[in-house]
Amino acid sequence: MRCADCRESLNALMDGELAPADAAEVREHLSSCADCRREQAVLADVSSTLREGLVRHPAPDVLKARIRSALAQPDAFEPAPPRPRWSWMALAAAGVLLAAASSGITFVATRQAAPPAVAADVLSSHLRALMPGHLTDVASTNLHNVKPWFDGRVDFSPSVPNLDADGFPLVGGRLDYVAGRSVAAVVYARRLHMISVYSWPAGAGAEDSAPVVTDQRGYHLVRWRRAGLEYWAVSDLGRDDLDTFVRAFNASR
Amino acid sequence: MGQRDVERFERIVLPHLDDAYTLARYLLRDEHDAQDAVQDAVLRALRYFEGYRDGDARAWLLAIVRNCCLTWLRKDRARRSAVPLVEQAAAEAIGPRPADALAIERSDRAALERIVAALPTEFREVIVLREVEGLSYREISDVVGAPIGTVMSRLARARKRLAGALGVDAKEAG
Repeated sequence: MRCADCRESLNALMDGELAPADAAEVREHLSSCADCRREQAVLADVSSTLREGLVRHPAPDVLKARIRSALAQPDAFEPAPPRPRWSWMALAAAGVLLAAASSGITFVATRQAAPPAVAADVLSSHLRALMPGHLTDVASTNLHNVKPWFDGRVDFSPSVPNLDADGFPLVGGRLDYVAGRSVAAVVYARRLHMISVYSWPAGAGAEDSAPVVTDQRGYHLVRWRRAGLEYWAVSDLGRDDLDTFVRAFNASR
Repeated sequence: MGQRDVERFERIVLPHLDDAYTLARYLLRDEHDAQDAVQDAVLRALRYFEGYRDGDARAWLLAIVRNCCLTWLRKDRARRSAVPLVEQAAAEAIGPRPADALAIERSDRAALERIVAALPTEFREVIVLREVEGLSYREISDVVGAPIGTVMSRLARARKRLAGALGVDAKEAG
């Protein structure tokens, strides 16, 4: 075997990709050729340096959470398919019901349940945020980066508590549009789940209200009011964990 | 796509998420870009999943991740064409240095990352797939969509460059 042929096979020999007969030939040449052996040592050195020095990067929990949420709602990420006919009929039926309801019980209904339009806005904003590149405008695990970021972007100061100790690391913040106005969205993670917390001024004279949970399309939405701000939290997190989160969020200052 | 298909997808494809993210990190050299590219790739994979038959799910996913990353790089290059990132990194990583400084650097993981980051994409991907992910030539060929012979020669040329950048060949010759 000539040196040129040997050199050409050294990579494949090292990688275990040579047929046994070819490998035997190369080894035989190596046993009698110091130059080729030196070349082989260089290759082995490079390879082991790379193997020992280059790290693997485990997928971060935030990424897993985004993928998980996306898989739970695959339709949300496809271009909107033409709606089947029955859903229009369902909408029409709902309209009739709404019209009937508006005769006297609307006031109670909107106080009890969340305003449906806001709930839909909040949920679709959360789903949209799970698409690539939309999760946060300011990606930071440090509240001292996230909180000032909102200055000048919204006309109030959103709460951005540090909930690391409670097992809810901060992921970042973004600006969103809900209920016809700009709102602050602060994003937290819990293992493989994401939680978006939306807040905006509740309006003059609004009193504090305790958290109320509603369910939509497999997501929990929690709404409460505190210190003049309206809060909505949305996540596919389990009910208990989400309760824990809201308690921790409100316990902090 | 039904719930059952999504579950099958999660069972077959998601175990390779770490490999997918590792490849994206090395190709894009940015953790946020890598996250977005992998998420994009997984959702694409879900869309193509009906066309996936039994086979090497890891290589299948990695091929989609690679395509997403290359698309990303092309867009990115157009966006910040004013900054020749690769050349800059290369000059930084393998600029002339005294031999003993190189020897010290060899133990430095960050320096190694920089040297690998400075490789052209077609070399960097085969190095990562082989040395970090441990793929066979056949699998690498499936991921990058090139014949095995091409994979072999790219790998050989990539290692030769790295030997030079790491100062391994100089030491051996001296």
